[in-house]
Amino acid sequence: MTAMPERASRFPRISAMPQRGRISWFEIVLLTSCAVWVGFGLAPALQDVAVLSFLFAGLGLAWNIAGGCAGLISFGHAAFFGIGAYTSTILFQSYGITPWLGIFAGAATAAVAGAVLALICARLKGPFFILSSLAFAEVVRIIALNWPSVTGGAEGLSIPPVPDLANMVLGSKPAYEALTLIYLILAYAVMRWLEASRFGFYLFAVRDNDDAAAAAGINPLMIRSSAMALSAALTGVGGTLFAQYFLYLDPTYVISPELSFQFALLPAVGGLGTAIGPILGSFLITPLSELLRANLGNAAAGLHLVIYSAGLIVVMLYFPAGIAGALEKLKSRKPQP
Amino acid sequence: MNTIIQLVISGLLIGSIYALMSIGLTLIFGVLRVVNFAHGEFLMIAMYAAWAFSKLLGLNPYVAAIAVVPAMFLFGALVYRLVIGSALEKPHLVVVFATMGLSIFLQNIALMAMTADLRDVPPIFGRSISIGHVFIKGELLLGFIITLACTIALQWVIKYTFLGKAIRATVQDGEAAKLMGIAVPRIFLITFATGSALVGLAACVMLPLFSVFPTVGLNFVLIAFVIVVLGGMGSIEGALLGGFCVGVVQSVGSYYVAPAFGQLFFFVLFLLVMIFRPNGLFGQKGAATLGMNE
Repeated sequence: MTAMPERASRFPRISAMPQRGRISWFEIVLLTSCAVWVGFGLAPALQDVAVLSFLFAGLGLAWNIAGGCAGLISFGHAAFFGIGAYTSTILFQSYGITPWLGIFAGAATAAVAGAVLALICARLKGPFFILSSLAFAEVVRIIALNWPSVTGGAEGLSIPPVPDLANMVLGSKPAYEALTLIYLILAYAVMRWLEASRFGFYLFAVRDNDDAAAAAGINPLMIRSSAMALSAALTGVGGTLFAQYFLYLDPTYVISPELSFQFALLPAVGGLGTAIGPILGSFLITPLSELLRANLGNAAAGLHLVIYSAGLIVVMLYFPAGIAGALEKLKSRKPQP
Repeated sequence: MNTIIQLVISGLLIGSIYALMSIGLTLIFGVLRVVNFAHGEFLMIAMYAAWAFSKLLGLNPYVAAIAVVPAMFLFGALVYRLVIGSALEKPHLVVVFATMGLSIFLQNIALMAMTADLRDVPPIFGRSISIGHVFIKGELLLGFIITLACTIALQWVIKYTFLGKAIRATVQDGEAAKLMGIAVPRIFLITFATGSALVGLAACVMLPLFSVFPTVGLNFVLIAFVIVVLGGMGSIEGALLGGFCVGVVQSVGSYYVAPAFGQLFFFVLFLLVMIFRPNGLFGQKGAATLGMNE
């Protein structure tokens, strides 16, 4: 019972190839309308939802760098999110360093953690990498829970809600909308840069065939760790923004497997390895989740995850390339001029 | 010295129970070549089912196995029909995300239906059995016997029955098996359902020893993966050996090194095995890099 035939190569891949230089009008219109939405302060009732949609779109893009482009499917990104959030918050509370600087420290710490994860899992692929990332995040969570002198343990940390621009406590929803939209656009720009750059091509090459990539003179280990570090750094930035928005952190939410799952879900539904996929995924799923939470509250704890996961299964079985892939297919069906 | 003997023996016994829970995973992997991330959640569902039986009907959890095992067989068949079967014909990532989605789905269904409270059953055997200076919990000994019986029975089915022959043929060469008139999808269905039924049996053995809660699967699925990797992916005897190793390491380790960090144990052990022995104890090549260039 130990024969090892591979069933892999028979199937087409579902992660997209780099879309070099193909920023479509659709994407420009989408991002511009987001900016207009924020600029004119539209729909004040939905500002919470907008902040979270932008934030999670950025986080989905960050995950996509590792998961979609480098093939490092991680279910432990909440660890980087938590590391980023805790680093900036602890620096602020214990040493009075403004989160505007702390955000870089958080990103750097998360990047180191990401590189470490990629290095210790250097030999692993597929299911084993996924489980290792999950175990890694659990280890980080349990350490954060049992180290109250630094992280506040299960009680968590809170940031005084005194609006002060110098300390990144903005006090108004539209300001947070603007901040998270900037984060989203930054993550989008990084992704677009990857698609056009040499480093990005290395990533896609390593994802699709690392033996061939190594034969062509690329060091797969280096590329994987750098991709993971970049992805973790961006996730850490998201963590700091999250902490500054909610002004409260505790390990059971910030480093939970559910959160890791959500980061992976958005690109998987939107389209793995695409720049627009995570944004579409987040704009579709985050408002839905917030709506459910607002209307059902704690009466149905877990219901939003039930709906997400059922949605994920359906999308995977019927549109494995995600929304972006389905749109692409629709477009290519149209008669050519 | 007595302490060591005591620790090793309880380790072997608990390890056999871990092995029972991993056999389903390794069987499914060996035949279908897919990793079922929802394996831990199957265990959780079966543990809840056994708990419900013992609570509502006042049945002993071991007796509940008569109902839980066939129910898990049907549940496995249903999951195969709805999700796994169609995912098999798609790129590998689809199976990964689909079973991951299934795992989150089952966890949260359980959370909604049963809340996050810990549920358990009272101990079955009042006192430990003593042999010389060694004390043995009755539940562990019974689990050990059930595991051995189950492994032998499974090996017999695979070696000597027609179904077993068909399964082995499918593993060796799916295309050729198809040409010989073996209904490969049916073999997959039966294997997946049998794997789930084995998890059901493991759940009935484990319920008197562990509490059940919606995320209980996460701890155990990592242990199951450690065992499957150590013993060689797809090997049933290997799973038994791997189980013994993990059991002994856990029992000796948690006695001498901080028992307070028991929760960390599963995760750290998993990471250590992945770092140092990703190819298993017997150096099976490529075990840890298996299954995914898409």
